[in-house]
Amino acid sequence: MLEQSDSIDTTTFEQILEMDDDDDRDFSKSIVYDYFQQAQSTFTKMDTSLDKRDFPQLSDLGHFLKGSSATLGLTKLKDSCEKIQHYGKRKDETGTRDESDEELLLGRLRSTIDDAKQEFNEIERLLRRFYRDESS
Amino acid sequence: MLQRKIWVRRAGHGQSATLVQVREDDLVDDARDVILRKYQNSLGRSFDAPDVSLRIVPRDTKHPERALGPDEDICRTLDAYFPGGQTVDEALIIDVPTRRTPRPSPRGHHPPHHHIPYYLDEATARPGENGGDYFPPMPATLPSPAALTDLSHASRGSLHGGVAGSSTALADRHERAISVLNTGQIAPLPSPGADRRRPHHPRPRSTRHNTSSPTATTSLSGGPPQPPPPPPPQMPTPPVVDASSPGGAVAGPGSSGGGANANAATAALEATPALPAGLLDGSVPPINVLIVEDNIINLKLLEAFMKRLKVRWQTAMNGRDAVTKWRAGGFHLVLMDIQLPIMSGLEATKEIRRLEKVNGIGVFGVEAMVGAEGNGTGTGSGEGETEGEPEGLDEKDKLDKGVMFKSPVIIVALTASSLQSDRHEALGAGCNDFLTKPVNFVWLERKVKEWGCMQALIDFDGWRKWKDFNMSDGAADQQHRQQQQQQHSLGSKNDGAGAGVTVGAPAGVSIKDVAVLGGTKSAAARVGGDAAEGVAKVPAEDELAVEDDSTSPDG
Repeated sequence: MLEQSDSIDTTTFEQILEMDDDDDRDFSKSIVYDYFQQAQSTFTKMDTSLDKRDFPQLSDLGHFLKGSSATLGLTKLKDSCEKIQHYGKRKDETGTRDESDEELLLGRLRSTIDDAKQEFNEIERLLRRFYRDESS
Repeated sequence: MLQRKIWVRRAGHGQSATLVQVREDDLVDDARDVILRKYQNSLGRSFDAPDVSLRIVPRDTKHPERALGPDEDICRTLDAYFPGGQTVDEALIIDVPTRRTPRPSPRGHHPPHHHIPYYLDEATARPGENGGDYFPPMPATLPSPAALTDLSHASRGSLHGGVAGSSTALADRHERAISVLNTGQIAPLPSPGADRRRPHHPRPRSTRHNTSSPTATTSLSGGPPQPPPPPPPQMPTPPVVDASSPGGAVAGPGSSGGGANANAATAALEATPALPAGLLDGSVPPINVLIVEDNIINLKLLEAFMKRLKVRWQTAMNGRDAVTKWRAGGFHLVLMDIQLPIMSGLEATKEIRRLEKVNGIGVFGVEAMVGAEGNGTGTGSGEGETEGEPEGLDEKDKLDKGVMFKSPVIIVALTASSLQSDRHEALGAGCNDFLTKPVNFVWLERKVKEWGCMQALIDFDGWRKWKDFNMSDGAADQQHRQQQQQQHSLGSKNDGAGAGVTVGAPAGVSIKDVAVLGGTKSAAARVGGDAAEGVAKVPAEDELAVEDDSTSPDG
């Protein structure tokens, strides 16, 4: 079974596992592995947008990854993505107050994206091990 | 000491014989003790051994039957009368006093030194209910209304321990009571066992109210002037049905059209818990869902979930796509991601609401639309057009009338945002509800059912066209159920008026028969009728039925 982790909300993830057929984990595995690809390509795009200082694009990318992260129960990653979304809108991390200092925002974006990547790597490691263990 | 078994049976037609064990040297007096132990419910609670007398019916008819004296040696007597052994048909007949004055206290006839525990069981003893000595069952020889009561009493008695009444001989004495009942003139003297038990019963009132209405109508409209109906179906035993309430009153009479009394009651018991469960038992209304989601991960999961719920769905990846698909018609529910490329979910929602309005779909109040429009100005494509007037409708806004747009679609916003403002924005744009990701699937399933049923209520005719399967499990059931509940509450009120008449009143005809014979459109009768649809039509006529009852005492 999936080990307990701060990164993954087991309740949410298990309801995806419940959608699997009885005899295999093909469905959830395809979802999770699709998510790996999606996250990696999103991080790549974020890096590009960061270089271009494309705030709206960063916000959209943050929102995009937030959606799937939330769906899989990746709570921490979801929170990071939400911050990226807010910073991209030139707001503070809660999205309630405007923030005009672009350098400050860019710095926060960079560090938040780094956090998100680290978080993702951890999750990917956990989940790949989970599916390897399951299939063996 | 040698033991032997002798056959005894209670007086009265159809009483089955039973064996009791006596010793070879027992006197009749000893046998009476044993017999009371055997009939501990029906006799033992109200009779003492000296009250009981045994009668022997000789084999050859030349000798008269006679009562045995208490000092007779019972085995020797039997041997003398029945050489070769007593057969079951030669059972000694147990006679009990037929007329007893009401006892001042249930404890009054305690045998002072009696050691048999059932005599002491006063906590559960219901003195009025036994023996048939006080209110004997109505005779089967009377016209059918009474016959039903006889049956129902007998089975009620059997529920409580095998009393079926030994007193057909006394029946004519009570015929008058029955006729009074049939005229509807007297309330508090209805059913033999049931009525007298009331004061001892912990919850008599609700018992009455929940179940008696159909009976009341039956007894009044199916009274003496009616031709004798076929062998009477039995009413469910009121207390049993009551135990299964709420909703039991609806199911109970409905299932009582035929079959044994106890069976009907059991059926009601079994059917009732299923009623509320019907909505949540895994059946989802056959709705058509549009999933609007730009993230392929979420889309795949929602699709898989819809597949699992066995509802139809389509997908759209952006707001414009969503509006286009919605225009094709037939959707009951839209799961709308808020932030979408090309056209956001909020814009798509506003556009759908605008199109619904200009095409005159559904039941939106003007005020509701004003609110939505206020937010939506400048986002839709039809800015500045004459809203609210289908005549001035832009050609491009016209929806194909051939498709299904009977009601506004239910739009549920989906977002991973934790911001309250996003929520308000979504509702302001015209979304009906709001879901936060990650979506809890159990919750979503319940919501899909709720929304689906809501749509079914709004648009039942359109619904029928769409249902491919399983309609009875879904919305239609719920609709009827609600109406039945409404009906039920009305019926309960009504019962207050005629409660006294109703309990155990001689219901000589089945509820279905009432509708035919009496021709009254009594809602109460319809509750018990075969169709819930009948119930649905006549909630307002309940009062009418009451009037009928009171103004036509002769049926």
